[in-house]
Amino acid sequence: MQLTGLLWGAKLLRRVDFPAAEVLGPEASVDEIKDLIKRKGQIFIKPIFKGGVGKKGKSGLIGRASDIAKALEEKERLYFAKHTHGNTVSKADGVTFEGGVPAEHEVYFSISDSTEYRAPVMTITHHGGMDIEELPKDKIRVVPFDPLTGLKSFHVANALAELNAPKEIISPLVQNLSRLWTLYNNYGMSMLEINPVRMSTTTQGRLVPVACDFKCSFDIDDPSWKRLDIPAHLFASDYSEFEQEINQLRTYQGQSDVFVINEKGTITAPTFGGGANALVTELLGERATISSDFGGNPPYEKMFQISQIVFKYWLGQSNVLFIIGGKANNTDIYETFRAMADALRWFFNTYGPRPIFVVVGRGGPNLIRGMAYMKDTLESLGLPYRFFGHDSAMSEVVNYALKIDEWMAREGRRLLAAKKGIEV
Amino acid sequence: MHKKGAEGFPYYVGINSLAEVATREDRVCVLNILGTESRSVTPTSHEFSGGNVAFGTSPGRTGQSLPTKSGPIPVYNSVKEGLAAGHAFSTGVVYLPPSGVKDGVAEMVRANKDLKKIIIVTEKISVSDARTIRAICQMNGVDAFGGNALGVADAWSRVRMGGALGGSKPEESLIKGSIALFSNSGNFTTTIAVYLTSEGWGTTTSISSGKDVYIHFAPREFLHAVDNDNRSKGSVIYVEPGGYYERGLRINKPTVVCVVGRWKAKLTKACGHAGSLAGSGDDARAKEQWFMNYFGVDGIYTPENPIFSKKGAVVTNIAHIPEALTKVMALNGIKPDFEPRGSLSLKCWFGNSQGLVLPDELDVKPVEAVAPYNEQIEIISRQIGAQFPRQTMKDASGASMMDPGTQVTKIHNLSILDASKYSLEENLVFALLKSFPDQTEKEFANLAFNAFVHMPGDPVVLAADAAREAESSPNSVLSTAVGIIGKARVRDAKAASALLLDLFQYEKIESATNHFDYSKILKKLSAEQKKALSSGNGNHLAARIISTLGKMGGKSIFVEFVIEATNGKPSSDALLGAIWATLGWPALMKRKISKASFLNLPWHSKIFSAIIGASVPSKKHEKESLCGVPFTEILENWSFTEVAFLSLVGRRPSTIELFEFTLLLGLIISNGPGTISAQGSKGAVSADGPEQPERVQINKCVIGFLTHTGFAHGGNGYEAIAFLIDQFKDSKLQDPGDRKHGINLRAIADKYSKWYSGYKKSEKEAGNIDYAKIPCVNHPVFKGKEVNVDPREQFVSRLLEERGSYNIFLDFYHNLVRSLFESKVTKNVYCVNVDAVIAVILLKIFWKALAEKAISGQEVETAAFTTFLYGRMIGCAAEIDDHLNRGRNMDTRTPASQVSFVG
Repeated sequence: MQLTGLLWGAKLLRRVDFPAAEVLGPEASVDEIKDLIKRKGQIFIKPIFKGGVGKKGKSGLIGRASDIAKALEEKERLYFAKHTHGNTVSKADGVTFEGGVPAEHEVYFSISDSTEYRAPVMTITHHGGMDIEELPKDKIRVVPFDPLTGLKSFHVANALAELNAPKEIISPLVQNLSRLWTLYNNYGMSMLEINPVRMSTTTQGRLVPVACDFKCSFDIDDPSWKRLDIPAHLFASDYSEFEQEINQLRTYQGQSDVFVINEKGTITAPTFGGGANALVTELLGERATISSDFGGNPPYEKMFQISQIVFKYWLGQSNVLFIIGGKANNTDIYETFRAMADALRWFFNTYGPRPIFVVVGRGGPNLIRGMAYMKDTLESLGLPYRFFGHDSAMSEVVNYALKIDEWMAREGRRLLAAKKGIEV
Repeated sequence: MHKKGAEGFPYYVGINSLAEVATREDRVCVLNILGTESRSVTPTSHEFSGGNVAFGTSPGRTGQSLPTKSGPIPVYNSVKEGLAAGHAFSTGVVYLPPSGVKDGVAEMVRANKDLKKIIIVTEKISVSDARTIRAICQMNGVDAFGGNALGVADAWSRVRMGGALGGSKPEESLIKGSIALFSNSGNFTTTIAVYLTSEGWGTTTSISSGKDVYIHFAPREFLHAVDNDNRSKGSVIYVEPGGYYERGLRINKPTVVCVVGRWKAKLTKACGHAGSLAGSGDDARAKEQWFMNYFGVDGIYTPENPIFSKKGAVVTNIAHIPEALTKVMALNGIKPDFEPRGSLSLKCWFGNSQGLVLPDELDVKPVEAVAPYNEQIEIISRQIGAQFPRQTMKDASGASMMDPGTQVTKIHNLSILDASKYSLEENLVFALLKSFPDQTEKEFANLAFNAFVHMPGDPVVLAADAAREAESSPNSVLSTAVGIIGKARVRDAKAASALLLDLFQYEKIESATNHFDYSKILKKLSAEQKKALSSGNGNHLAARIISTLGKMGGKSIFVEFVIEATNGKPSSDALLGAIWATLGWPALMKRKISKASFLNLPWHSKIFSAIIGASVPSKKHEKESLCGVPFTEILENWSFTEVAFLSLVGRRPSTIELFEFTLLLGLIISNGPGTISAQGSKGAVSADGPEQPERVQINKCVIGFLTHTGFAHGGNGYEAIAFLIDQFKDSKLQDPGDRKHGINLRAIADKYSKWYSGYKKSEKEAGNIDYAKIPCVNHPVFKGKEVNVDPREQFVSRLLEERGSYNIFLDFYHNLVRSLFESKVTKNVYCVNVDAVIAVILLKIFWKALAEKAISGQEVETAAFTTFLYGRMIGCAAEIDDHLNRGRNMDTRTPASQVSFVG
């Protein structure tokens, strides 16, 4: 759950009275844009991406204009701009118009939780406005602080002093930056970054920090972000339709973490346990439709609903239904297998029978009862299967499932479909 | 700010040696001890650890306790209360929901100055709460484990604290040895421990660290404690991507590290630079490299390419840990703790290729599982029949479902459209056994049904006569008859089925129509058992059944057994039991049906026979014939579908009539569990209490179905027939199946459309919007297009067309919907719905008799209603059997809070 840009960033910053560049949304009229240019001299036109998108500047996705003609030209160029970063391709939906903030100094500032310090940390440098990781370490300060007392003015003052920051920027930053802890801590954030904070000069000649960009991540397990009244659709692009449907079932009892791996995958693997999830996803690679962790002893009803969603999206195209986990400690195998078997029956009743080979690798409480229930269901559905206990190496079971998938693709799917009198 | 702990840490660490993590001296307090998860886990931990849980808390439940085999654990409202009651503890275990964890930790820290350790089992704790928890514990000198941890365990001291490491049998995983175990994954903590035994390694202390952003007890602390633990000669660490907990470690004892999750790097979505500031990234590859640097190796250990040093090895597959560990330890001169136990090779416990020929390498055969699972599999394999979990079955069914989109109902996952291609006897078998009979089985089924349909002088038909004469509706007449097929009427047949099941259940017979040498079983049969199967001095019906069996091609182990056991003089009921045992055996052995269902098969069978038989007045049940057809002829040459037709029409159907009648019955099978007839069946089962299935009266349940039909449900088919009769009364139609009928159907349709247009207009002008609708056109789902089609009607029409069957009434209906549109009565072309198909087939059957006035309109109405009952008894038999197996006692009732009073 990530948020980028000033359109919403400025609204969040207003909650702690932190100044931000003036911003107009995509609905801004020509007159409003003209007025902004007139007052600010120049404006920046930035595409709006839902969710988290980094390094827009380097990709030429920030337009600059000093007249309305150029502003509209940039608007047209960027309104539906595509941005590829790493494995993620994002498509813009609108632009913002942000008033220029003339300044001599640019500051980078962020708050995050550090696994090195096991505490929240502030990261600051007065060499902002560029990729921070490219700066030498001595030009950055990472300062851990006590979460019980929070980020204090002295943390900022000491860090800037150690960095030999220009004296004139220290006081305005000390007065303003520590307020961002309130925003971070009170609204369930796990990262907050402003780059750059530009030090604008007021008419009285004083410097004031102005946020000229904004990024943050919210902790999915912390409901505090809901107090911000951010429309949920802003986070929608973070998840596929399938992931969103599963996430609606997300509760603390029973994991329900899923990712789509390959929309054209042929092995659908409900996986139990974080470790199994990591191992199985690694070994299945692109053959997997999804990566999942359904461990944590989900109750029958939840497991049934999750399985229904998984099967609905992925079973039609799959050669192999692969149920895999280690030797469960507290997940009741009977309850989870019963739920999956019932959901499989539901899937066949609702969408018709499919040619699927079922491979199972599992251990844990009520194992044999669970396997027997699944076995009876597969017998009644006429599906071929192999079940392995926890004394078979999980990786070997994965390899077996991969080989079955290859055989199913080669001829098994066709043979099974013919036997069942259904379409391949 | 933190308390002073172990040297060398910039934060508080209290534990110096692994031997201090889980000791016999530790006393535990469990927060939310009566929560669902704790209730199942804590007793095992307590018993395994010698009774180490001092008390638990659960607000408002002071005075309660959690029972365990080591005695009850007292429960208090709060930690303070528990301490005040004289209990002491050093370790807190948190099972609270995520939002309550921070407060729970604060409560324990504040209330108990002796607190040393906290284990947080809860998942999905927010990062903001986790950082606060860390700060609280640091300030007060408490070691925290988790969150999202499965706890800690010590195989030497036999102590488990926190979560369920080792599940319900911790002794299977926690085997004493020399390896310390640390894992980000709770499940892998014990999975790895089990894997280690395959190379002869046991464990000292196992720690499930959790994998939240904040890991309070991380590898740095673990390795410090390993160094100070003389029991631990080496260690295994399992880590996943994310976080810098493994960077800059000092590893002094031989260690194997497993890093899994390279793929996760692909899922990372960029957001700012903060995450990458800390250095070279924290993905799996980075972590592999950190550890390779520690160990001085230049690659990942695999069995094919074993790269390791005296310091350790890095693997990316947990299955490689044991072998890598053995090699690393060997370089250090350390031998395994015990002889290797088992292996990690592929071992299949259950398998079936369903007749497919797999390549040899994939055709893994099931092998005996390790103890104790082999015994459990043996017990399960000796359990006969399916066992369905019981649940509330109100408005739910495991037998039928209707797709609201297509309006097509499925029974046992088969569309009724497809089921309508099968005969009545095949569908009745399918309803009860979930698969259609083969040719031999079909002959057995026909024999079983037809043998009991002829009931001269039987109270069943006499009672039906009485009800008929009292002008009861067809469903009431048949209810009266079915009421007589009580338990006593099927006692002998059920007893025969039960005896055969008892004698043959462990003989691994897949099909009772195959050959089987039962001579040994026959020898052991007692005189009393033989007597139960016998007819005494001979039985006329049994002799006829045996005679018919002799003329059939197929054989049955059970029928032959019964005949032989009784010296050729079995009772007819024993034969019925044997026939149904034959038919039900494969479904029972494959666990498609339960034992209770198997034993009820003869009862269902006799009821089906009675429903058909009682439709015929007693006077037509002559001594040797039914409706004038010799009974022997029926037994030997008639199908049950033909007998059903005979009971309604009084003659044998032609080939095309048999096809159309079969189709008709199939279409009526079911409309899902919400229909009134299904509800009646289910309510009747529910009221008898399906949790004791032997007490459920099948005949009473069928009466439930029958009484839940009536002139509005089942009896309404005549409305369309009457409509059609009215349209064709002046047409001089001779044969509704003749395409060359010479009748201008469009003219009849146009005439009616014109009349209906005027009628509709005048009714609307009079303010009556409830004017009469034309039967069997339009449908609430299949509407709104320019030309509408009910796919079910389309399906049947195509089937009829394929068979060369013409039906003038159906043709007329298609003319009518077009005419109604063209004369602007309707806005688009309405569909002809599936009910029309039922009406036109029935009318076609009776047209000739009607035209010749050999049959009255009243009799056609009775026949139409009865036909509905014949078709629907298939679906309701499936519902009754399903509810009997899955339902709970009185589960169809509606709670008082959900019903309303209309005064």
